[in-house]
Amino acid sequence: MNVNWINVFVAAFFEVFWVIGLKHAHTPLAWGGTVISILISFYLMIMAGKKLPVGTVYAVFVGMGTAGTVFAEMAFFGEPFHLIKLVLILILLAGVIGLKVVTGDKEAKEKGVDS
Amino acid sequence: MAWVSLILAGLFEMIGVTMINKWHHDRKWTSFIYLLAGFGASFLFLTIAMKTLPMGTAYAVWTGIGASGGAILGMVLYGESRDWRRIFFIAMVLFAAIGLKWIS
Repeated sequence: MNVNWINVFVAAFFEVFWVIGLKHAHTPLAWGGTVISILISFYLMIMAGKKLPVGTVYAVFVGMGTAGTVFAEMAFFGEPFHLIKLVLILILLAGVIGLKVVTGDKEAKEKGVDS
Repeated sequence: MAWVSLILAGLFEMIGVTMINKWHHDRKWTSFIYLLAGFGASFLFLTIAMKTLPMGTAYAVWTGIGASGGAILGMVLYGESRDWRRIFFIAMVLFAAIGLKWIS
């Protein structure tokens, strides 16, 4: 697990905060936290694209952010649990793991080959 | 009109993603401005689309166009890997993300 992948996952983690913030924030403090989360998540996502393929980074960023948001809405905000949501989250995680496995480092990226 | 806005939002997201690549290649501040403008315009049109379209549908279509388009442009313009396994796993992630947004 190198630092670039950790950046993508932390970026997705902050994406969950700001997506929930946009929906549920009602106080200046919550709005401030939402804005800061947007800046942190985009900064980390953009920087991860320096060493990893941007298409991969963005798909994982969006995917993990979505899965995290759906999970948080069910766990903390009373959204109904549906089995289909769980199945889709598992498919998504499998895809992310697959991408992690087949994605090479910068040298591989520049030659246009993976793993 | 809402659907036109939604498609424009997706296209601007594609531009935003592609500008990340451009910026890493040339490190020019103009590229960074395009990056911000791309994502900014994308959110703006998404907001307009969501005034009439259901939120789940709008998010799903927006993600689908932006992330898959961004990945395709990365392969076409910046030589990102076209390994079938990479394409397969990106498709898997986006399929699940679109599904989750559509139903929620």
